[in-house]
Amino acid sequence: MSSEHMIKGYDEELRRLNNTITEMGGLAESQLGAAIEAVVERDSELAASVVEGDAKVDQLQRDLDNLALRLLALRQPVARDLREIFAALKIGSDLERMCDYAANVAKRAIALNQSPPAQPVYALPRMARLAELLVKDVIDAYVARDADKAYAVWMRDEELDEMYASLFRELLTYMMEDPRNISASTHLLFMAKNIERIGDHATNIAEDLYYLVHGTPLTQKRPKGDNSSLEVIKPGRVQP
Amino acid sequence: MISSLPKSYRTEADPLPTPAPDRTTAPTAELPIKAQLRSVGFYYEKFQALKNINLALHDRRVTAFIGPSGCGKSTLLRVLNRIYQLYPGQHATGEVLVDGENILAAGIDLNRLRARIGMVFQKPTPFPMSIYDNIAFGIRLYERLPKSELADRVESALQRAALWTEVKDKLKQSGLSLSGGQQQRLCIARAIAVQPEILLLDEPASALDPISTQRIEELIAELKGDYCIAIVTHNMQQAARSSDYTAFMYLGELVEFDETERIFTHPKERRTEDYITGRFG
Repeated sequence: MSSEHMIKGYDEELRRLNNTITEMGGLAESQLGAAIEAVVERDSELAASVVEGDAKVDQLQRDLDNLALRLLALRQPVARDLREIFAALKIGSDLERMCDYAANVAKRAIALNQSPPAQPVYALPRMARLAELLVKDVIDAYVARDADKAYAVWMRDEELDEMYASLFRELLTYMMEDPRNISASTHLLFMAKNIERIGDHATNIAEDLYYLVHGTPLTQKRPKGDNSSLEVIKPGRVQP
Repeated sequence: MISSLPKSYRTEADPLPTPAPDRTTAPTAELPIKAQLRSVGFYYEKFQALKNINLALHDRRVTAFIGPSGCGKSTLLRVLNRIYQLYPGQHATGEVLVDGENILAAGIDLNRLRARIGMVFQKPTPFPMSIYDNIAFGIRLYERLPKSELADRVESALQRAALWTEVKDKLKQSGLSLSGGQQQRLCIARAIAVQPEILLLDEPASALDPISTQRIEELIAELKGDYCIAIVTHNMQQAARSSDYTAFMYLGELVEFDETERIFTHPKERRTEDYITGRFG
């Protein structure tokens, strides 16, 4: 935040808004990290704690919304202050959504642990690490109001898309090789999709931050690294 | 969205709807310029209160002037109808072109000018005469009208100022008997009775209660259909609500002048931002 308002209480409220976002960002990162650990270590207890932890994020988002509404009603913010609050509202709902995805991954981990270990999928934790990094970077960028760093996150999401596309093909192959893999592979595929979506929300935050700093939207077209939504498998290719 | 329908869905008789004129997105080039200020300066004796002001006031649009006390915004309004000439030792430099004519030039008929460019002040200033005469007074100065026509003009001015229904049964009463908000609308009626081209409003609502303030703002929105309006206000929200363009002034200079929406969402100048967000020390 730039220089201070003549009314101190205003600054205090804006700082609280900021701190809430930062706290939510930290939670998004740790929830995703724990969810993936639960997958890799087949730790259902850890997974359950991630699912439970989601309530905390939901509460933070409600606090954030109330604080933002209060600021809008009582301070009638304009210009930079208005953009601060507008961005905080949007970023808050993106972070809340990210945590929902992390909780989803954890839920599927519990389901996955019901059956014997499936084929090792190295790409999933790799994807998760990148997603975590994007979340961490975009929150760091938010704290520093660094639009360039936000832009770098925005560009880097393409990498995550590519990882998702290759994992999609890999899991498809497993399923075609042996129908007994279908159940586990489907869970893994949904997990990968959840992680890929987390990356998309990180780019949303990057866009919000860009607008907050510059006052103009980031209108450029983002590179896309995932065409799996267009892929089809011809019946003839299925192995007997 | 209709505009995204494929072309074949539309017929000649059903063309794409043209978007409703939106004051915030209307391209500036389409609006005729009513008054053009060129390098305007102003002096109270030796003190320079305005420095090299350049801006355009668009017809049928509201331009708001904001800035801290003493920034020169009221002075700028006073230049526009040369009311400063009532006081010795004050003079303006530069040019103010109204429809191409420099009103700061010598040889301008000042009474005629002040009828063309009407002004309403912070404190309501009704004349100590009847409500009817408050309006008729100005008209009689410039025109000789038959009684019935004069009565029509008075009525239409009061109607335009949204005051008619409240005063139509007591036109003979003194203008001073009205409430503050009504007095202010009476002053606006008086200004528009002489059919001006530009209306200058100097803090027209700052002495009024919130309801009267809203009436005045509503009135401004109605009147801008016919006039070029310039308003000075200390109330930033009022500027945001009622103007199309906003000029931010500081220490006699024009710091930033842009569409109101832009000024209040992402101003270009740091000083504008600091002022409107309340960071000005």
